[in-house]
Amino acid sequence: MLTVASLAPGALQARLAGEGLRLRTGRFSVRLQAAMPSVAAGIGQLYGDYPLLQDSDFADFHLQLVRPRSPRRWLRPQVRLHCDGYEMFQPMPLQHAFPMFEWGLNWCVSSRAHRYLIVHAAVLERHGRAVILPAPPGSGKSTLTAALAGKGGWRLLSDELTLLELDTGLLVPNPRPISLKNASIDIIRAYVPDAVLSTPVRDTTKGTVAHMRAPGDAVQRAADCAQPAWIVFPHYSAGAATTLEPLARAATFMELAGNSFNYSVLGAAGFQALGRLIEQAAGFRFRYSALDEALDTFARLDES
Amino acid sequence: MPVQWQLVPGQSLLHRSWDGQVVLYNEVSGATHLLDQETLDLLHALRDGELAPEDWTDPELQLAFAELRKLYLVEPC
Amino acid sequence: MKADLPLLLRALRTPQQLASLPPAGWDLLLRQAANANLSATLHDWLAQHGVLAQALPQAREQLSWAAVMARRHRQATYWEIRLIGKALGGLGVPLLLLKGGAYAAADLPPAAGRLFSDIDILVPEESLPQVEAALMRHGWVGTHHDQYDQRYYREWMHELPPMMHVLRQTAIDVHHTILPRTAAQRPDARLLRAAARPLAGEGAPPGTAILAPLDMVLHSATHLFADGEFDKGLRDLWDLHCLLTHFGAREPGFWDALPARARQHQLQRFMFYGLRYSAMLLGTEVPRATLAAMAPDGPPPALLAVMDALFTRALLPHHPSCRGTGAALADFLLYVRGNWLRMPPLRLARHLFHKAFLTPKNSQGAAA
Repeated sequence: MLTVASLAPGALQARLAGEGLRLRTGRFSVRLQAAMPSVAAGIGQLYGDYPLLQDSDFADFHLQLVRPRSPRRWLRPQVRLHCDGYEMFQPMPLQHAFPMFEWGLNWCVSSRAHRYLIVHAAVLERHGRAVILPAPPGSGKSTLTAALAGKGGWRLLSDELTLLELDTGLLVPNPRPISLKNASIDIIRAYVPDAVLSTPVRDTTKGTVAHMRAPGDAVQRAADCAQPAWIVFPHYSAGAATTLEPLARAATFMELAGNSFNYSVLGAAGFQALGRLIEQAAGFRFRYSALDEALDTFARLDES
Repeated sequence: MPVQWQLVPGQSLLHRSWDGQVVLYNEVSGATHLLDQETLDLLHALRDGELAPEDWTDPELQLAFAELRKLYLVEPC
Repeated sequence: MKADLPLLLRALRTPQQLASLPPAGWDLLLRQAANANLSATLHDWLAQHGVLAQALPQAREQLSWAAVMARRHRQATYWEIRLIGKALGGLGVPLLLLKGGAYAAADLPPAAGRLFSDIDILVPEESLPQVEAALMRHGWVGTHHDQYDQRYYREWMHELPPMMHVLRQTAIDVHHTILPRTAAQRPDARLLRAAARPLAGEGAPPGTAILAPLDMVLHSATHLFADGEFDKGLRDLWDLHCLLTHFGAREPGFWDALPARARQHQLQRFMFYGLRYSAMLLGTEVPRATLAAMAPDGPPPALLAVMDALFTRALLPHHPSCRGTGAALADFLLYVRGNWLRMPPLRLARHLFHKAFLTPKNSQGAAA
């Protein structure tokens, strides 16, 4: 199977600028057209291991990043994102093009893939059992995810979109670059020295953003689904002691439903799938400040 | 004459119970509710026709049904 | 003509031929369908014709996602109709559902795979104030507070300004007839209501009714061809095709009675276009006798040639793959025609100006 890395940089740029680059991320196939050098650089750096698809293949999502021919084209260059012909976001400054692709692809999956209950959470697996980490922005979820995947020996299934397959109750991998913001960029640079990080992009709506290449065998094992075992709601708080407290199941259910993109679309099937998940996976609230202690707690989860 | 109540037609009381708490899927409105076990037991009793004439005069019961009406789980007969 | 039709139209006309479609073909078909709001419909249509099981697995997967959404919409629509029924129940005004709401409540073919938006109802003109008041008591609020827009709807159009429910964020359009007051054609709303058919069953609150089959078909054609905007035109044409096929087979005397009913409501020109383009693009089987009876209701030959050129472009999916030369111009001309049909010329100029320059940016009526 050919990967994106098999394309020389010139060939990669040419495809992105022309008919589009087609690649697979987990169960989804993507066609990306983007002539900007920053996007070619980001793809080259972070998507090398991903399977490369042919032009004649079916693509689930067609994304196009274009530079509008507006009067501000030279002094305030912008980028617009089209997902299957629809423009979902306002135009952004040109230097935000690569993060825009990542957000756009998240949007495509989370708004349409209704075979899955899609939870806004990270999900990782170790020794055949998976932990789901739902968390609103600012809770430290991404830092924790990068640490668990980069140093803790956990396999990354996803950093933002947890896909719970309705029919089977299994967690389906969707490995993509881990998005890091602001302080966590430097924290992870120090904590995971061999992490591959994109050049940070400043002044986005979320602050400074960088992406970390999915570590280890996350991409190679994208076809390996996982059994859910734990649901952990992380809260980072400077100086906090490390605590893990069990949560009532009904409360866990309602919080997960509230953190899901498509729970209300799925109706009874979503209710059943979430109910089954709560039967299988115990819920916890997790407070921490020291990454080493956090990784240690997670390593001993099967003892809980 | 006390009001008599029934489940809104179409409700099958699809639910899960854990430790005295219940999550219930409302098939008519598409909403999901967090209830306590006693409320679910009451809904089951209503569905199964187990409420006796003297139950209808209980003011607490009427109050409970009035609240459940707002969720479109029950309606007056 | 058939060979030139976009893939989506060929799929709708002869779904069996899709068995040999290559992956790139499925990719294009799904994009056209999504653009035309026909994804979930395509799912149900292919399933009905035994083609879904042989489709490219990834295409079948995507279509199944759309079907999930459509199911949810259907559930929400039944719920909304029920709540509207509760709000208007005490007024003694029959709840006459139009368009999507009617298709859902009566489980008619256009309901399959549909994504519903506003609920449209038809009430007697004299009951408008009570209906508006009852809706407001139950949580709906008016929109379009701009005085000009209010006047546009109440005086010139055929409906209250759309109302939105504060909690559910759902919209209801209350009509008193099916064409604007300012249009040249005057369909008779009393006749429409008199011929309406009551509904029974789970989808319908007590006292619900829908238009009689002939009137429903006329309304569908009028709604499509009196309008100026066709970006969802194919979806509407598909609805018309489904209704014609369904009632044509089930309603005794349907085809024979259609021309006379169209003329009775002064809607014969719109019905002429409806039959013509539904047959041309979707292959609707209209009996020769009906086409012959409706022939005098068409425009003069020179104008018909122009309309053919405009509509055969505008009614295709608005996906880039289907937009050849003349498409954008066709859109513009039809937009102007649409507004022309609704409003006399002087008022038209004022309306477009107002929409372009004075309507607040964040109101529903703002021009894109």
